[in-house]
Amino acid sequence: MLKQFDRDLSLTDLLAVSEARLLVAVLAELLGAPLRILDLDDRTIAGVADGADDMAALITVPLTLQLNTVGFLQSPGPLPQVLAAAKLIDQVLRAGARYCMSADLHLETVRSDHQRLQDEHRALLASETRLRELSDGLDQRVNEQVRTIENSQRSLYQAEKLASVGQLAAGVAHEINNPLGFIRSNLNTARGYTKTLVALGALVKSDRGQAWVFWQAQDLTEVLVDFDELLAENIDGAERVSKIVSDLMVFASVDNDDTELLDLNENLRVVCNIAQGQAPADARIVVDLALLPLFECHANRINQVFLNLLLNALHAVQPGGEVQITSKFVGNEILIAFKDNGCGIPADNLSRIFDPFFTTRPVGAGTGLGLTVSRDIVRSYGGLLDVQSEPGVGTTAIIRLALPKA
Amino acid sequence: MAEYDQAKRELCFKLVYDGPALSGKTTNLIELCALIAADQRGEIMSLETSNDHTLFFDLLPVRFSAPSGLNICLKLFTVPGDSTLDSTRKAVLSRADGVVFVADSQRNRTTSNDQSFESLVNHAGKTGMALESMAKVVQFNKRDLPDVMSEKDMHTHWQASGWPLTFASAVDGTGVLETFTALVEQIYRQVDRRYSMSSKHGVSERSFVGAALGI
Repeated sequence: MLKQFDRDLSLTDLLAVSEARLLVAVLAELLGAPLRILDLDDRTIAGVADGADDMAALITVPLTLQLNTVGFLQSPGPLPQVLAAAKLIDQVLRAGARYCMSADLHLETVRSDHQRLQDEHRALLASETRLRELSDGLDQRVNEQVRTIENSQRSLYQAEKLASVGQLAAGVAHEINNPLGFIRSNLNTARGYTKTLVALGALVKSDRGQAWVFWQAQDLTEVLVDFDELLAENIDGAERVSKIVSDLMVFASVDNDDTELLDLNENLRVVCNIAQGQAPADARIVVDLALLPLFECHANRINQVFLNLLLNALHAVQPGGEVQITSKFVGNEILIAFKDNGCGIPADNLSRIFDPFFTTRPVGAGTGLGLTVSRDIVRSYGGLLDVQSEPGVGTTAIIRLALPKA
Repeated sequence: MAEYDQAKRELCFKLVYDGPALSGKTTNLIELCALIAADQRGEIMSLETSNDHTLFFDLLPVRFSAPSGLNICLKLFTVPGDSTLDSTRKAVLSRADGVVFVADSQRNRTTSNDQSFESLVNHAGKTGMALESMAKVVQFNKRDLPDVMSEKDMHTHWQASGWPLTFASAVDGTGVLETFTALVEQIYRQVDRRYSMSSKHGVSERSFVGAALGI
């Protein structure tokens, strides 16, 4: 327990026993008489013990400190000397009080300073901890922001791309559809005309005139057969163009940005038709589609995914290679796989293929966003996009889409 | 709050003269010492000074008795005003029953007064003293000097603090007694009821102050 510096001081606070003894011894010499110092409870602190013979006729003088009696001096006399001795002791007590009070005050101050330092230290530690937490949190928040920015960048890119493809498709479809209409119509009419020409041939033959000579010389019978075949091929070609145009419109889904219930097999077929032209010579696309339940998603977005994966596969295969597209429904999941027997992806690159802007194609040939965007889209439907690859053997990209629980 | 010592039948109060450096705290004590009857006060005990700055504290004990025989003891302390001795100042201030804030009236000391007062309030808070309910006085000292703030300005400036104001020129003793009286009256009011000062011990507010001074 700390002693308060401003407490009332007792005789023993002011005068150590050894000091008191020395003081009493010196005073006894000066006085030429024995003496003793007593505390307030009449206990002898120093000097001749109680009951000693030569203390018979005693003079008792109070010892005071600042109006307070703190003890007594007893001696047989003579009186003036005893009073003087008491004054001297009072002076010693005063000096003792000065020392005692300043020492205790100093101690009190040091303790409170120490306490304050410890409190400040604790406060500093606490604020340091808080700062560290904040800084850790800051790091995390910056990372989250970066991720958010990357995501929105990709979405923006994808939206831009879809929009431009859509506009282009709409424009092309419109421009091509009109001439294609009259080309098909004219071709059919022209094919009707060949029948008339065949009938004319029969007439010319029966006449056996100069016209027949010319007919035979020009081999017009064969020409008409060939002409009919040419027109049939043209009609077939025009129909294919017409189909591609309509697939393109479906692919781009220009007019529809809402989700709808889709048979994904239909989307796979459309994408195959569009990508066919980009396949290397003699490369085959083998399609093996099982019956799928309808899945709710955005047509243009899922088409984008399919096209990205299919074009990747077609890029990888050599002439004569093969890309297999399979779909099946297992458990609660639609599984769609694009498997090629192309060059494969080296292990070093495989871990980075989903990183934004990672590409192994020459500058300008690929953005490095195809797989990134594809995975974002698949994830937005709660699905997974996984790529397995072995260099020299081939690559398989698998989409898993779980049906929402009813 | 005041300590009552059953054995000695003594009621003891600690009164502290606080304030900025060199505002006249020790001078107040010296002048007071001269005003109080010699047999009821001790000697001023000054613990170390340096260039007129108190380093530890000064102490003047005053003791008198009520008609009932109750001993009353007032221990008057001064703190070191120098801001580098802030910890000592806080330790001396702690456990005080009453405070006199001795301010320097000179215009150019206004800031140091304010800082010192703020520090006093701060210390009181930390040592668990309830300043609001305590006996307290602000003394504007050094009224004898030129370029002091007017009393009106002082009242305006200190109104918000809620402390009673006195004006003094301690160096020639003016106002020292008024300040002491203002403080001791408050002390009396605080203990009157609790210790039945007037009814049991026969001490009125007026006689209490008079007895304290020995007049």
